[in-house]
Amino acid sequence: MARERAAAARAQPWPRWLGSLRQAVGWRRLSLHTRLCWAGFLFVLPALLHLIAFKFYPMLEAFRLSFYQYDLMSPPVFHGLENYRSVWNNPLFHQSFWVSAKYMFGVSIPEWFLALALALLLNRRMPGRSLIRLAYFFPIAMSQIVVALVWKFMYNPLGVVNTLLSYVGVGRINWLATEETALPALILIGIWRGIPLFGVIYLAGLQAIPKEYHEAATVDGAGGWQSFVHVTIPLLMPTILFVMVMSLLSAMKVFLNPLVMTEGGPNGTTRVLPYFIYDTAFAYHRMGEAAAASMVLFAFAFALTLIQLRLLRRGGLE
Amino acid sequence: MSRRAVRLWGGGLLTILTIAGIGLTLLPYFWMLASSLKTGGEVFELPIRWLPREPQWWNYPDALSRGAFAVYFFNSAVVALAVMAGNLMFCSLAGYGLAKFRFPYREASFRLILSTLMLPLEIVLVPTFLVVRGLGLVNSYGGLIVPLAVDAFGIFLMRQYIKDLPDSLIEAARLDGCSERGIFWRIILPNCKPALGALALLTFRDNWDQFLWPLIVASRDTLKTFPLGLAQMEGIDSAAYHEIMAIAVIGMIPTAIIFLCFQRAFVRGIAFSGLKE
Repeated sequence: MARERAAAARAQPWPRWLGSLRQAVGWRRLSLHTRLCWAGFLFVLPALLHLIAFKFYPMLEAFRLSFYQYDLMSPPVFHGLENYRSVWNNPLFHQSFWVSAKYMFGVSIPEWFLALALALLLNRRMPGRSLIRLAYFFPIAMSQIVVALVWKFMYNPLGVVNTLLSYVGVGRINWLATEETALPALILIGIWRGIPLFGVIYLAGLQAIPKEYHEAATVDGAGGWQSFVHVTIPLLMPTILFVMVMSLLSAMKVFLNPLVMTEGGPNGTTRVLPYFIYDTAFAYHRMGEAAAASMVLFAFAFALTLIQLRLLRRGGLE
Repeated sequence: MSRRAVRLWGGGLLTILTIAGIGLTLLPYFWMLASSLKTGGEVFELPIRWLPREPQWWNYPDALSRGAFAVYFFNSAVVALAVMAGNLMFCSLAGYGLAKFRFPYREASFRLILSTLMLPLEIVLVPTFLVVRGLGLVNSYGGLIVPLAVDAFGIFLMRQYIKDLPDSLIEAARLDGCSERGIFWRIILPNCKPALGALALLTFRDNWDQFLWPLIVASRDTLKTFPLGLAQMEGIDSAAYHEIMAIAVIGMIPTAIIFLCFQRAFVRGIAFSGLKE
Protein backbone atom coordinates (compact mmCIF):
# COMPACT_ATOMS: atom_id res chain seq x y z
CA MET A 1 0.00 0.00 0.00
CA ALA A 2 2.68 2.41 1.09
CA ARG A 3 4.81 1.40 -1.84
CA GLU A 4 1.90 1.91 -4.23
CA ARG A 5 1.31 5.34 -2.81
CA ALA A 6 5.00 6.17 -3.17
CA ALA A 7 4.91 5.00 -6.78
CA ALA A 8 1.82 7.11 -7.42
CA ALA A 9 3.50 10.09 -5.82
CA ARG A 10 6.51 9.61 -8.03
CA ALA A 11 4.39 9.40 -11.16
CA GLN A 12 2.50 12.51 -10.18
CA PRO A 13 4.56 15.62 -10.92
CA TRP A 14 3.06 17.84 -8.21
CA PRO A 15 1.61 17.34 -4.72
CA ARG A 16 -1.87 15.82 -4.76
CA TRP A 17 -3.81 19.02 -4.06
CA LEU A 18 -2.03 20.68 -6.92
CA GLY A 19 -3.04 17.71 -9.05
CA SER A 20 -6.72 18.43 -8.55
CA LEU A 21 -6.07 22.10 -9.17
CA ARG A 22 -4.43 21.13 -12.44
CA GLN A 23 -7.47 19.11 -13.38
CA ALA A 24 -9.73 22.03 -12.59
CA VAL A 25 -7.86 24.39 -14.91
CA GLY A 26 -7.60 21.66 -17.55
CA TRP A 27 -3.79 21.53 -17.49
CA ARG A 28 -3.60 18.57 -19.88
CA ARG A 29 -5.61 20.36 -22.53
CA LEU A 30 -3.17 23.28 -22.62
CA SER A 31 -0.55 23.29 -25.34
CA LEU A 32 3.02 22.35 -24.45
CA HIS A 33 4.06 25.96 -25.00
CA THR A 34 1.49 27.33 -22.54
CA ARG A 35 2.31 24.64 -20.03
CA LEU A 36 6.01 25.47 -20.18
CA CYS A 37 5.20 29.15 -19.77
CA TRP A 38 3.32 28.44 -16.59
CA ALA A 39 5.90 25.93 -15.34
CA GLY A 40 8.69 28.50 -15.69
CA PHE A 41 6.64 31.16 -14.00
CA LEU A 42 5.74 28.82 -11.13
CA PHE A 43 9.42 28.00 -10.61
CA VAL A 44 10.19 31.69 -10.17
CA LEU A 45 7.09 32.53 -8.17
CA PRO A 46 8.14 31.50 -4.62
CA ALA A 47 11.32 33.58 -4.74
CA LEU A 48 9.51 36.48 -6.33
CA LEU A 49 6.80 36.47 -3.66
CA HIS A 50 9.45 36.36 -0.93
CA LEU A 51 11.29 39.33 -2.39
CA ILE A 52 8.05 41.26 -2.77
CA ALA A 53 7.16 40.60 0.87
CA PHE A 54 10.59 41.29 2.35
CA LYS A 55 12.18 43.78 -0.04
CA PHE A 56 9.70 45.68 -2.21
CA TYR A 57 6.90 45.99 0.26
CA PRO A 58 9.28 47.16 3.03
CA MET A 59 10.81 49.64 0.61
CA LEU A 60 7.40 51.12 -0.23
CA GLU A 61 6.49 50.99 3.43
CA ALA A 62 9.66 52.89 4.31
CA PHE A 63 8.74 55.51 1.74
CA ARG A 64 5.22 55.83 3.18
CA LEU A 65 6.49 55.80 6.74
CA SER A 66 8.88 58.64 5.98
CA PHE A 67 5.80 60.92 5.86
CA TYR A 68 4.38 59.70 9.16
CA GLN A 69 5.15 60.13 12.80
CA TYR A 70 5.37 56.70 14.39
CA ASP A 71 6.84 55.45 17.67
CA LEU A 72 5.86 51.74 17.48
CA MET A 73 3.26 52.23 20.25
CA SER A 74 0.59 54.66 19.11
CA PRO A 75 -0.79 54.50 15.55
CA PRO A 76 1.13 56.43 12.87
CA VAL A 77 0.13 60.05 12.30
CA PHE A 78 0.54 61.76 8.94
CA HIS A 79 3.26 64.32 9.21
CA GLY A 80 3.90 65.55 5.68
CA LEU A 81 7.50 66.48 5.04
CA GLU A 82 8.12 67.10 8.74
CA ASN A 83 10.44 64.07 9.07
CA TYR A 84 12.62 65.17 6.21
CA ARG A 85 12.73 68.67 7.66
CA SER A 86 13.74 67.52 11.12
CA VAL A 87 16.33 65.12 9.71
CA TRP A 88 17.68 67.94 7.58
CA ASN A 89 17.80 70.26 10.60
CA ASN A 90 19.45 67.65 12.76
CA PRO A 91 23.18 68.43 13.01
CA LEU A 92 23.80 64.79 13.96
CA PHE A 93 22.43 63.72 10.59
CA HIS A 94 24.79 66.03 8.74
CA GLN A 95 27.66 64.75 10.82
CA SER A 96 26.66 61.13 10.08
CA PHE A 97 26.36 61.89 6.41
CA TRP A 98 29.91 63.19 6.23
CA VAL A 99 31.28 60.42 8.44
CA SER A 100 29.72 57.90 6.05
CA ALA A 101 31.09 59.70 3.01
CA LYS A 102 34.58 59.85 4.50
CA TYR A 103 34.41 56.21 5.49
CA MET A 104 33.16 55.08 2.08
CA PHE A 105 35.86 56.81 0.09
CA GLY A 106 38.54 56.32 2.72
CA VAL A 107 37.99 52.57 2.54
CA SER A 108 37.28 52.03 -1.13
CA ILE A 109 39.90 54.16 -2.87
CA PRO A 110 42.87 52.39 -1.23
CA GLU A 111 41.06 49.09 -1.79
CA TRP A 112 40.84 49.64 -5.56
CA PHE A 113 44.61 49.89 -5.86
CA LEU A 114 45.80 47.55 -3.14
CA ALA A 115 43.45 44.75 -4.14
CA LEU A 116 44.66 45.03 -7.72
CA ALA A 117 48.26 44.99 -6.53
CA LEU A 118 47.53 41.88 -4.46
CA ALA A 119 45.89 40.14 -7.40
CA LEU A 120 48.84 40.96 -9.67
CA LEU A 121 51.22 39.66 -7.02
CA LEU A 122 49.31 36.42 -6.57
CA ASN A 123 48.97 35.92 -10.30
CA ARG A 124 52.76 35.66 -10.69
CA ARG A 125 54.41 32.29 -10.79
CA MET A 126 56.23 31.67 -7.52
CA PRO A 127 56.98 28.75 -5.22
CA GLY A 128 54.21 27.88 -2.79
CA ARG A 129 51.71 30.06 -4.63
CA SER A 130 48.58 28.22 -3.54
CA LEU A 131 49.68 28.37 0.09
CA ILE A 132 50.39 32.09 -0.19
CA ARG A 133 46.98 32.64 -1.75
CA LEU A 134 45.38 30.70 1.07
CA ALA A 135 47.08 32.93 3.64
CA TYR A 136 45.98 36.12 1.92
CA PHE A 137 42.40 35.02 1.36
CA PHE A 138 41.87 33.66 4.85
CA PRO A 139 40.34 36.87 6.29
CA ILE A 140 37.38 36.34 3.96
CA ALA A 141 36.36 33.48 6.21
CA MET A 142 36.63 35.47 9.43
CA SER A 143 33.39 36.58 10.97
CA GLN A 144 32.70 40.28 11.33
CA ILE A 145 32.20 40.27 15.06
CA VAL A 146 35.52 38.49 15.56
CA VAL A 147 37.23 41.05 13.33
CA ALA A 148 35.70 43.88 15.32
CA LEU A 149 36.69 42.50 18.72
CA VAL A 150 40.20 41.44 17.76
CA TRP A 151 40.94 44.84 16.28
CA LYS A 152 39.40 46.63 19.22
CA PHE A 153 41.78 44.67 21.34
CA MET A 154 44.74 45.45 19.10
CA TYR A 155 43.90 49.17 19.15
CA ASN A 156 43.94 49.21 22.96
CA PRO A 157 46.46 51.78 24.31
CA LEU A 158 48.46 48.82 25.59
CA GLY A 159 47.76 46.76 22.50
CA VAL A 160 49.73 45.42 19.62
CA VAL A 161 49.24 48.38 17.24
CA ASN A 162 50.87 50.80 19.63
CA THR A 163 53.65 48.32 20.29
CA LEU A 164 54.43 47.96 16.61
CA LEU A 165 54.37 51.74 16.19
CA SER A 166 56.62 52.24 19.19
CA TYR A 167 59.32 50.33 17.27
CA VAL A 168 59.34 53.19 14.78
CA GLY A 169 59.18 55.80 17.52
CA VAL A 170 55.49 56.75 17.61
CA GLY A 171 54.07 57.40 21.07
CA ARG A 172 51.09 55.59 22.55
CA ILE A 173 47.73 56.68 21.19
CA ASN A 174 44.28 55.71 22.41
CA TRP A 175 43.12 55.12 18.86
CA LEU A 176 39.43 54.48 19.37
CA ALA A 177 38.89 57.17 22.00
CA THR A 178 40.54 60.05 20.16
CA GLU A 179 38.42 62.10 17.78
CA GLU A 180 41.10 62.44 15.11
CA THR A 181 42.10 58.77 15.04
CA ALA A 182 38.88 56.80 15.63
CA LEU A 183 37.55 57.01 12.07
CA PRO A 184 40.95 56.34 10.41
CA ALA A 185 41.32 53.34 12.72
CA LEU A 186 37.98 51.95 11.50
CA ILE A 187 38.90 52.76 7.91
CA LEU A 188 42.08 50.73 8.27
CA ILE A 189 40.05 47.69 9.39
CA GLY A 190 37.71 48.14 6.43
CA ILE A 191 40.67 48.15 4.06
CA TRP A 192 42.28 45.16 5.75
CA ARG A 193 39.05 43.21 5.41
CA GLY A 194 38.20 44.34 1.88
CA ILE A 195 41.52 43.75 0.13
CA PRO A 196 41.35 39.92 0.12
CA LEU A 197 37.75 39.93 -1.04
CA PHE A 198 38.28 42.31 -3.94
CA GLY A 199 41.66 40.70 -4.59
CA VAL A 200 39.85 37.43 -5.32
CA ILE A 201 37.56 39.20 -7.76
CA TYR A 202 40.47 40.91 -9.54
CA LEU A 203 42.36 37.64 -9.65
CA ALA A 204 39.42 35.94 -11.36
CA GLY A 205 39.34 38.82 -13.83
CA LEU A 206 43.07 38.55 -14.50
CA GLN A 207 42.84 34.82 -15.07
CA ALA A 208 40.09 35.33 -17.61
CA ILE A 209 42.45 37.31 -19.86
CA PRO A 210 43.81 34.95 -22.53
CA LYS A 211 47.59 34.51 -22.33
CA GLU A 212 47.91 35.06 -26.08
CA TYR A 213 47.20 38.78 -25.66
CA HIS A 214 50.22 39.29 -23.44
CA GLU A 215 52.35 37.09 -25.67
CA ALA A 216 51.34 39.15 -28.69
CA ALA A 217 52.21 42.35 -26.82
CA THR A 218 55.62 40.95 -25.89
CA VAL A 219 56.27 39.95 -29.50
CA ASP A 220 55.44 43.52 -30.51
CA GLY A 221 58.15 44.68 -28.13
CA ALA A 222 55.99 45.88 -25.24
CA GLY A 223 57.64 45.83 -21.82
CA GLY A 224 55.96 44.66 -18.65
CA TRP A 225 54.55 48.08 -17.83
CA GLN A 226 53.31 48.80 -21.36
CA SER A 227 51.65 45.42 -21.57
CA PHE A 228 49.97 46.17 -18.21
CA VAL A 229 48.67 49.58 -19.30
CA HIS A 230 47.61 48.64 -22.83
CA VAL A 231 46.46 45.04 -22.43
CA THR A 232 45.63 44.23 -18.83
CA ILE A 233 43.87 47.43 -17.79
CA PRO A 234 41.48 47.72 -20.77
CA LEU A 235 40.53 44.05 -20.58
CA LEU A 236 40.07 44.27 -16.83
CA MET A 237 37.85 47.35 -17.08
CA PRO A 238 34.53 45.60 -16.34
CA THR A 239 36.03 44.02 -13.22
CA ILE A 240 37.53 47.33 -12.15
CA LEU A 241 34.18 49.11 -12.46
CA PHE A 242 32.49 46.31 -10.60
CA VAL A 243 34.99 46.45 -7.75
CA MET A 244 34.73 50.23 -7.57
CA VAL A 245 30.98 50.22 -7.12
CA MET A 246 30.84 47.15 -4.91
CA SER A 247 33.49 48.44 -2.53
CA LEU A 248 31.58 51.70 -2.16
CA LEU A 249 28.29 49.91 -1.59
CA SER A 250 29.72 47.56 0.99
CA ALA A 251 31.48 50.41 2.81
CA MET A 252 28.19 52.25 2.83
CA LYS A 253 26.60 49.48 4.88
CA VAL A 254 29.19 49.32 7.64
CA PHE A 255 27.49 49.17 11.01
CA LEU A 256 28.87 46.48 13.26
CA ASN A 257 32.37 47.91 13.67
CA PRO A 258 31.29 51.37 14.87
CA LEU A 259 28.66 49.81 17.11
CA VAL A 260 30.94 47.32 18.82
CA MET A 261 34.21 49.24 18.76
CA THR A 262 33.35 52.89 19.38
CA GLU A 263 29.57 53.11 19.86
CA GLY A 264 29.68 55.85 17.25
CA GLY A 265 31.96 57.95 19.40
CA PRO A 266 34.01 59.79 20.37
CA ASN A 267 31.59 62.67 19.84
CA GLY A 268 29.85 61.02 16.92
CA THR A 269 33.00 60.96 14.79
CA THR A 270 32.32 57.33 13.84
CA ARG A 271 28.52 57.40 13.75
CA VAL A 272 27.94 56.30 10.15
CA LEU A 273 24.56 56.70 8.47
CA PRO A 274 23.29 53.15 9.13
CA TYR A 275 24.16 53.69 12.78
CA PHE A 276 22.24 56.96 12.81
CA ILE A 277 19.21 55.17 11.31
CA TYR A 278 19.45 52.35 13.82
CA ASP A 279 19.70 54.78 16.74
CA THR A 280 16.82 56.93 15.53
CA ALA A 281 14.60 53.89 15.05
CA PHE A 282 15.44 51.57 17.89
CA ALA A 283 16.92 53.80 20.58
CA TYR A 284 14.67 56.88 20.14
CA HIS A 285 11.70 55.09 18.48
CA ARG A 286 11.37 57.74 15.82
CA MET A 287 10.45 55.38 12.99
CA GLY A 288 9.38 58.10 10.57
CA GLU A 289 12.62 60.02 10.83
CA ALA A 290 14.59 56.79 10.52
CA ALA A 291 12.65 55.96 7.36
CA ALA A 292 13.40 59.42 5.95
CA ALA A 293 17.11 58.90 6.65
CA SER A 294 16.89 55.45 5.00
CA MET A 295 15.59 57.15 1.88
CA VAL A 296 18.76 59.23 1.76
CA LEU A 297 20.86 56.08 2.10
CA PHE A 298 18.81 54.43 -0.62
CA ALA A 299 19.34 57.41 -2.91
CA PHE A 300 23.06 56.85 -2.44
CA ALA A 301 22.85 53.15 -3.34
CA PHE A 302 20.58 53.88 -6.28
CA ALA A 303 22.86 56.58 -7.70
CA LEU A 304 25.92 54.34 -7.40
CA THR A 305 24.19 51.46 -9.15
CA LEU A 306 22.97 53.74 -11.94
CA ILE A 307 26.46 55.13 -12.47
CA GLN A 308 27.84 51.62 -12.69
CA LEU A 309 25.24 50.56 -15.25
CA ARG A 310 25.81 53.71 -17.29
CA LEU A 311 29.57 53.22 -17.32
CA LEU A 312 29.29 49.55 -18.21
CA ARG A 313 26.96 50.37 -21.07
CA ARG A 314 29.02 53.24 -22.39
CA GLY A 315 32.05 51.00 -22.51
CA GLY A 316 29.95 48.56 -24.54
CA LEU A 317 30.98 46.01 -21.99
CA GLU A 318 27.68 44.58 -20.94
CA MET B 1 72.97 47.65 -13.28
CA SER B 2 72.39 44.95 -15.80
CA ARG B 3 68.91 43.84 -16.66
CA ARG B 4 69.48 40.58 -14.87
CA ALA B 5 70.44 42.33 -11.66
CA VAL B 6 67.31 44.49 -11.84
CA ARG B 7 65.17 41.43 -12.23
CA LEU B 8 66.91 39.67 -9.36
CA TRP B 9 66.51 42.64 -7.03
CA GLY B 10 62.94 43.16 -8.12
CA GLY B 11 62.13 39.54 -7.45
CA GLY B 12 63.72 39.69 -4.03
CA LEU B 13 61.83 42.87 -3.17
CA LEU B 14 58.54 41.30 -4.25
CA THR B 15 59.23 38.23 -2.13
CA ILE B 16 59.87 40.41 0.91
CA LEU B 17 56.68 42.37 0.20
CA THR B 18 54.71 39.15 -0.14
CA ILE B 19 55.94 37.84 3.18
CA ALA B 20 55.39 41.17 4.95
CA GLY B 21 51.88 41.25 3.52
CA ILE B 22 51.15 37.78 4.84
CA GLY B 23 52.43 38.88 8.23
CA LEU B 24 50.09 41.88 8.30
CA THR B 25 47.17 39.81 7.06
CA LEU B 26 47.56 37.07 9.60
CA LEU B 27 48.68 39.20 12.56
CA PRO B 28 45.15 39.52 14.01
CA TYR B 29 44.69 35.74 13.92
CA PHE B 30 47.98 35.14 15.61
CA TRP B 31 47.15 37.74 18.23
CA MET B 32 43.74 36.25 18.82
CA LEU B 33 45.08 32.72 19.25
CA ALA B 34 47.98 33.78 21.47
CA SER B 35 45.75 35.95 23.66
CA SER B 36 43.18 33.23 24.08
CA LEU B 37 45.84 31.16 25.82
CA LYS B 38 47.23 33.89 28.09
CA THR B 39 46.36 34.73 31.66
CA GLY B 40 44.33 37.89 32.22
CA GLY B 41 47.47 39.64 33.41
CA GLU B 42 49.64 38.68 30.46
CA VAL B 43 47.23 40.12 27.91
CA PHE B 44 48.23 43.75 28.46
CA GLU B 45 51.68 43.16 29.87
CA LEU B 46 54.40 45.66 28.99
CA PRO B 47 56.73 45.17 27.21
CA ILE B 48 54.47 43.17 25.00
CA ARG B 49 54.35 39.41 25.46
CA TRP B 50 53.88 37.72 22.08
CA LEU B 51 53.41 34.20 23.40
CA PRO B 52 51.90 33.08 26.72
CA ARG B 53 54.38 31.81 29.33
CA GLU B 54 52.27 28.75 29.75
CA PRO B 55 49.24 28.06 27.52
CA GLN B 56 46.08 28.46 29.62
CA TRP B 57 43.84 25.80 28.10
CA TRP B 58 41.29 26.35 30.85
CA ASN B 59 40.41 29.72 29.33
CA TYR B 60 38.21 27.88 26.86
CA PRO B 61 35.90 26.01 29.24
CA ASP B 62 35.92 29.03 31.58
CA ALA B 63 34.85 31.34 28.79
CA LEU B 64 32.14 28.98 27.59
CA SER B 65 30.64 28.84 31.05
CA ARG B 66 30.32 32.64 31.22
CA GLY B 67 27.21 32.95 29.10
CA ALA B 68 24.80 30.57 27.47
CA PHE B 69 27.26 30.06 24.66
CA ALA B 70 26.08 26.53 23.91
CA VAL B 71 22.67 28.09 23.18
CA TYR B 72 24.16 30.95 21.14
CA PHE B 73 26.21 28.60 18.99
CA PHE B 74 23.21 26.35 18.54
CA ASN B 75 21.10 29.32 17.44
CA SER B 76 23.73 30.49 15.00
CA ALA B 77 23.93 27.00 13.54
CA VAL B 78 20.13 26.75 13.21
CA VAL B 79 19.87 30.15 11.54
CA ALA B 80 22.82 29.53 9.22
CA LEU B 81 21.65 26.08 8.15
CA ALA B 82 18.01 27.05 7.73
CA VAL B 83 18.81 30.17 5.72
CA MET B 84 21.21 28.10 3.66
CA ALA B 85 18.53 25.48 2.95
CA GLY B 86 16.02 28.17 1.98
CA ASN B 87 18.44 29.83 -0.37
CA LEU B 88 19.50 26.57 -2.03
CA MET B 89 15.87 25.60 -2.60
CA PHE B 90 14.29 28.87 -3.75
CA CYS B 91 17.28 30.26 -5.60
CA SER B 92 17.80 27.12 -7.66
CA LEU B 93 14.08 26.94 -8.46
CA ALA B 94 13.97 30.56 -9.54
CA GLY B 95 17.32 30.35 -11.31
CA TYR B 96 16.06 27.37 -13.33
CA GLY B 97 12.81 29.12 -14.19
CA LEU B 98 14.65 32.24 -15.36
CA ALA B 99 17.35 30.38 -17.26
CA LYS B 100 15.43 27.71 -19.18
CA PHE B 101 11.84 28.85 -19.68
CA ARG B 102 10.21 31.52 -21.76
CA PHE B 103 7.29 33.33 -20.24
CA PRO B 104 5.89 36.84 -20.45
CA TYR B 105 7.79 39.41 -18.37
CA ARG B 106 10.66 37.00 -17.72
CA GLU B 107 13.33 39.63 -18.28
CA ALA B 108 11.33 42.12 -16.26
CA SER B 109 11.09 39.69 -13.34
CA PHE B 110 14.81 39.04 -13.53
CA ARG B 111 15.57 42.77 -13.43
CA LEU B 112 13.14 43.22 -10.59
CA ILE B 113 14.89 40.46 -8.65
CA LEU B 114 18.33 41.90 -9.35
CA SER B 115 17.23 45.37 -8.29
CA THR B 116 16.70 44.08 -4.73
CA LEU B 117 20.50 43.98 -4.47
CA MET B 118 20.17 47.73 -3.96
CA LEU B 119 17.98 47.11 -0.92
CA PRO B 120 20.24 45.59 1.71
CA LEU B 121 18.82 45.06 5.17
CA GLU B 122 20.48 48.25 6.37
CA ILE B 123 18.18 50.30 4.16
CA VAL B 124 14.90 48.48 4.75
CA LEU B 125 15.64 47.74 8.38
CA VAL B 126 12.72 49.56 9.98
CA PRO B 127 9.92 48.37 7.66
CA THR B 128 11.27 44.80 7.56
CA PHE B 129 11.08 44.79 11.31
CA LEU B 130 7.50 46.07 11.09
CA VAL B 131 6.59 43.30 8.60
CA VAL B 132 8.08 40.64 10.84
CA ARG B 133 6.32 42.15 13.84
CA GLY B 134 3.07 42.16 11.90
CA LEU B 135 3.53 38.45 11.21
CA GLY B 136 4.03 37.91 14.95
CA LEU B 137 7.51 36.52 14.38
CA VAL B 138 9.50 38.78 16.72
CA ASN B 139 11.53 36.66 19.11
CA SER B 140 11.15 33.44 17.19
CA TYR B 141 13.33 31.33 14.93
CA GLY B 142 10.91 32.11 12.13
CA GLY B 143 11.60 35.81 12.52
CA LEU B 144 15.33 35.21 12.43
CA ILE B 145 15.20 32.97 9.38
CA VAL B 146 12.30 33.80 7.07
CA PRO B 147 13.28 37.33 5.94
CA LEU B 148 16.71 36.04 4.91
CA ALA B 149 15.58 32.84 3.19
CA VAL B 150 15.87 34.21 -0.37
CA ASP B 151 18.60 36.43 -1.69
CA ALA B 152 18.74 37.88 -5.18
CA PHE B 153 22.43 37.14 -5.40
CA GLY B 154 21.74 33.40 -5.11
CA ILE B 155 19.15 33.58 -7.87
CA PHE B 156 21.66 35.39 -10.06
CA LEU B 157 24.35 32.79 -9.35
CA MET B 158 22.07 29.83 -10.06
CA ARG B 159 20.62 31.40 -13.21
CA GLN B 160 24.05 32.06 -14.69
CA TYR B 161 25.14 28.51 -13.98
CA ILE B 162 21.99 26.76 -15.19
CA LYS B 163 21.96 28.87 -18.35
CA ASP B 164 25.16 27.14 -19.47
CA LEU B 165 23.72 23.63 -19.07
CA PRO B 166 22.79 22.14 -22.47
CA ASP B 167 19.10 22.38 -23.38
CA SER B 168 19.27 18.91 -24.93
CA LEU B 169 19.51 17.38 -21.43
CA ILE B 170 16.16 18.86 -20.48
CA GLU B 171 14.45 18.19 -23.80
CA ALA B 172 15.53 14.54 -23.79
CA ALA B 173 14.09 14.08 -20.30
CA ARG B 174 10.89 15.85 -21.33
CA LEU B 175 10.52 13.55 -24.37
CA ASP B 176 10.99 10.56 -22.10
CA GLY B 177 7.93 11.72 -20.20
CA CYS B 178 9.70 13.13 -17.18
CA SER B 179 7.58 15.67 -15.31
CA GLU B 180 8.79 19.24 -14.90
CA ARG B 181 9.33 18.63 -11.21
CA GLY B 182 11.23 15.46 -12.03
CA ILE B 183 13.48 17.33 -14.48
CA PHE B 184 14.32 19.85 -11.79
CA TRP B 185 15.15 17.25 -9.15
CA ARG B 186 16.81 14.62 -11.29
CA ILE B 187 18.45 16.57 -14.12
CA ILE B 188 19.03 20.16 -13.04
CA LEU B 189 20.03 19.84 -9.39
CA PRO B 190 22.58 17.02 -9.86
CA ASN B 191 24.15 18.98 -12.71
CA CYS B 192 24.72 22.19 -10.82
CA LYS B 193 26.51 20.88 -7.76
CA PRO B 194 29.44 23.34 -8.05
CA ALA B 195 27.12 26.35 -8.02
CA LEU B 196 25.06 24.90 -5.19
CA GLY B 197 28.26 24.25 -3.25
CA ALA B 198 29.49 27.82 -3.64
CA LEU B 199 26.07 29.21 -2.72
CA ALA B 200 25.89 26.94 0.34
CA LEU B 201 29.29 28.08 1.59
CA LEU B 202 28.59 31.76 1.08
CA THR B 203 25.18 31.73 2.72
CA PHE B 204 26.48 29.69 5.62
CA ARG B 205 29.30 32.13 6.25
CA ASP B 206 27.12 35.21 6.00
CA ASN B 207 24.46 33.88 8.30
CA TRP B 208 26.69 32.26 10.86
CA ASP B 209 27.84 35.84 11.16
CA GLN B 210 24.41 37.45 11.28
CA PHE B 211 24.48 40.35 13.72
CA LEU B 212 22.27 43.27 12.75
CA TRP B 213 19.08 41.33 12.14
CA PRO B 214 19.18 39.17 15.31
CA LEU B 215 20.08 42.31 17.24
CA ILE B 216 16.74 43.80 16.26
CA VAL B 217 14.45 40.81 16.11
CA ALA B 218 15.73 38.59 18.94
CA SER B 219 15.77 40.31 22.29
CA ARG B 220 15.19 37.13 24.24
CA ASP B 221 18.41 35.58 25.50
CA THR B 222 17.55 32.06 24.35
CA LEU B 223 17.36 33.27 20.75
CA LYS B 224 20.60 35.20 20.60
CA THR B 225 23.16 34.19 18.04
CA PHE B 226 26.85 33.78 18.72
CA PRO B 227 27.91 37.25 17.47
CA LEU B 228 25.32 38.85 19.77
CA GLY B 229 26.44 36.72 22.69
CA LEU B 230 30.04 37.66 22.09
CA ALA B 231 29.27 41.38 21.81
CA GLN B 232 27.20 41.15 24.98
CA MET B 233 30.00 39.41 26.85
CA GLU B 234 32.40 42.10 25.73
CA GLY B 235 30.00 44.79 26.87
CA ILE B 236 29.66 43.28 30.33
CA ASP B 237 33.29 42.56 31.04
CA SER B 238 35.65 44.06 28.51
CA ALA B 239 38.61 43.25 30.74
CA ALA B 240 38.23 39.50 30.21
CA TYR B 241 39.98 39.74 26.88
CA HIS B 242 41.64 36.36 27.10
CA GLU B 243 38.25 34.71 27.46
CA ILE B 244 36.58 36.85 24.78
CA MET B 245 39.34 35.79 22.41
CA ALA B 246 38.78 32.14 23.34
CA ILE B 247 35.12 32.43 22.31
CA ALA B 248 36.17 34.25 19.16
CA VAL B 249 38.48 31.36 18.26
CA ILE B 250 35.69 28.83 18.78
CA GLY B 251 33.27 30.94 16.75
CA MET B 252 35.75 31.06 13.90
CA ILE B 253 36.17 27.30 13.68
CA PRO B 254 33.14 26.44 11.49
CA THR B 255 33.84 29.07 8.84
CA ALA B 256 37.57 28.39 8.96
CA ILE B 257 37.06 24.65 8.44
CA ILE B 258 34.67 25.28 5.57
CA PHE B 259 37.10 27.72 4.04
CA LEU B 260 40.07 25.39 4.31
CA CYS B 261 38.22 22.32 3.04
CA PHE B 262 36.32 23.96 0.20
CA GLN B 263 38.76 26.72 -0.56
CA ARG B 264 38.41 26.40 -4.31
CA ALA B 265 34.62 26.44 -4.39
CA PHE B 266 34.58 29.23 -1.84
CA VAL B 267 36.97 31.45 -3.73
CA ARG B 268 35.27 30.66 -7.02
CA GLY B 269 31.91 31.53 -5.57
CA ILE B 270 33.16 34.82 -4.19
CA ALA B 271 35.00 35.66 -7.37
CA PHE B 272 31.86 34.94 -9.31
CA SER B 273 29.81 37.17 -7.15
CA GLY B 274 31.69 39.84 -5.36
CA LEU B 275 28.15 40.99 -4.80
CA LYS B 276 28.28 39.85 -1.23
CA GLU B 277 29.27 41.92 1.81
